Amino acid sequence: MTSNGSTTTKDGLSNVNVTAALDVEGNVPLESVQLDGLVVLKIIKHCREFFPSPVTGQLLGLDVNGVLEVTNCFPFPGSKADDENEIVDGARYQVDMMRCLRDVNVDHNTVGWYQSTYLGSFVTHKLIETQYNYQQTFNNKSVVIVHDVSRSTHGNLSLRAFRFTRAFMEAQKEGKFTSESLIKNKLTFSTIFEELPITIKNSHLVTALLHSLDDYEHVIPKASSLDKETVVGPLTPNFDTLELSLDPYIEKNLEFLLEAVEEHSQEQSNFAFWQRSVVREQAKMQAALQKRKQENAHRLAAGQDPLPEEDIAKMFKFPPEPSRLDSLLITSQINNYCKQLNQYAGPTLGKLFMAGEFQK
Amino acid sequence: MPIDAATSALNLSFPPTTSATGFVVPQSRSFTVSVNPVVLFSILDHYLRRQENQHRVIGTLLGVRSEDGSEVEVRNCFPVPHDESQNQVAVDMVYHQSMFELHKKVNAKEVIVGWYATGSNLNQWNALIQDFYSKEVSPPFQAIHLTMDTDLKNEEKLLGVKTYVSAPIGISAKPENCLFLPVPCDVKYFDAERSGLDLLASAKDQTDRSTSLISDMDNLEKTILVVQEMLERISEYVNKVLDGSVPANNKVGRFLMDTISVVPKIDKVEFEKMFNSHLQDLLMVVYLANMTRTQLAIAEKLQLLV
Repeated sequence: MTSNGSTTTKDGLSNVNVTAALDVEGNVPLESVQLDGLVVLKIIKHCREFFPSPVTGQLLGLDVNGVLEVTNCFPFPGSKADDENEIVDGARYQVDMMRCLRDVNVDHNTVGWYQSTYLGSFVTHKLIETQYNYQQTFNNKSVVIVHDVSRSTHGNLSLRAFRFTRAFMEAQKEGKFTSESLIKNKLTFSTIFEELPITIKNSHLVTALLHSLDDYEHVIPKASSLDKETVVGPLTPNFDTLELSLDPYIEKNLEFLLEAVEEHSQEQSNFAFWQRSVVREQAKMQAALQKRKQENAHRLAAGQDPLPEEDIAKMFKFPPEPSRLDSLLITSQINNYCKQLNQYAGPTLGKLFMAGEFQK
Repeated sequence: MPIDAATSALNLSFPPTTSATGFVVPQSRSFTVSVNPVVLFSILDHYLRRQENQHRVIGTLLGVRSEDGSEVEVRNCFPVPHDESQNQVAVDMVYHQSMFELHKKVNAKEVIVGWYATGSNLNQWNALIQDFYSKEVSPPFQAIHLTMDTDLKNEEKLLGVKTYVSAPIGISAKPENCLFLPVPCDVKYFDAERSGLDLLASAKDQTDRSTSLISDMDNLEKTILVVQEMLERISEYVNKVLDGSVPANNKVGRFLMDTISVVPKIDKVEFEKMFNSHLQDLLMVVYLANMTRTQLAIAEKLQLLV
């Protein structure tokens, strides 16, 4: 945020806050995310245009006293291939864009990134990697905002802000997800992400704009213009929420859920296979150890030196434990789907009964 | 929905006239402009972040045109730094070019359609800048000029959004001579943007100008309340008409009639069947989802116990 005079800052109050907060920046952990109206619309626009393929973009802003203020954002170009050129291009694009935005007094401080998703299926390896990089670079002060286009078309905006918990950051830093490290870090599927509450703030001018747009809502169409069906103000009440045909949505959701459960059971069987092979190897080792002990007893009885027992342990190799990250992610995804279904079913039940009443 | 109802200009469409040399003269073609709300928000944000001594800001409008050129959709925009003084104006062309290149990487479909400026009055600099943008726009089309009255000095105290195209005047065409012709303009958005805009609009009457996301359930409640209010209003109106205290309006009556006839007539038994099967499906899904979640929760607890 620029601080030259009252014209460029949002308002005098936050100006004071900024200077007061500059000293403590870096110490206060993030507690919530505050989005500018512009950011919300820009994210929605970008995500909608490329729906259903996922898109990403950068968030710009500042953190002030534990509140991450996101004041602007820009989209990343869609990547077709993961070759070298593409990555270099992407980096140059980012640098150029930041430079250009700085020239027009936009906050040029990266605070995170956003991603679009289809029906809440956002817990992927790619997201984990990217967010890990962001959070490492920006000292845990970065969030990922997930926008669900398919849900938003049903009338209620779906935006969620996430960041990793400290436990997950540590586990990811070590780069191994074995049962031991999971227990050590107390890491379960519900402690991968922390969700931060989102508030949305409009500038004074935007408020003015909304009011001017709203004025048309109150203008009752005169009798002569009633036959024009196009007299619809942009802010007339939205009845998309009352849509009754929600079966496709639930169906798709269940489909995804099934898929996830299947993947999960596959992970489980992988894990069980590993466990069995470990047990088998252990049994073999024990048997060998027993044999060596008997042999030694014989040799002792015969007055010979006993053979060493240590090298037996070296003869057997335990298979490495498979990474538990996948199963963690899948469980968290399943959890997401279930939650989503529940959230969805509530209003749908209400609507169903309402429709029932209407028919009577 | 026209944003600017105040304009008294009549927009008549000429058939494309052919001049003596056989070229189609594009100026005579009328078209409408629709603006995505994100553009208006961006302009206001740019205006807020202007330099201290700057009185107005300008920028480039990006968008798409319908095939016949009769409708221009302004979908995006970016600010362009410029410097205005008593006797000259300087626009940062390099900045404009590089920013356009960057935007093209993200969305190649959007092309330059015109430019915006804040403030409501048009002056000689507008003509000069318009001349520049006319060269940027692909030939058969015209550059659009969009103004937004950020000073709020007009009579209605509204952020009047106006769009213009230019026409050359005078015998010899000079860049600084041009006539700005108003064109109709409305706001256009998509379903997904609608929900975002609704949410933003819910903050407009708050003193702290902020709002938080609401759950689906709360949203539904809000919508139902609105519907209820509307029903009450209309039944009040109908009752008044029946009383004779308000003269009946045929048009309103016709609208009511249309609305009522939209309600489908379904056999009661049939409906009961549909209703129940739906209810069962839904409850089943909820049950299964909850069960899965419980399973996961147990697994989580067990994992930590080991």
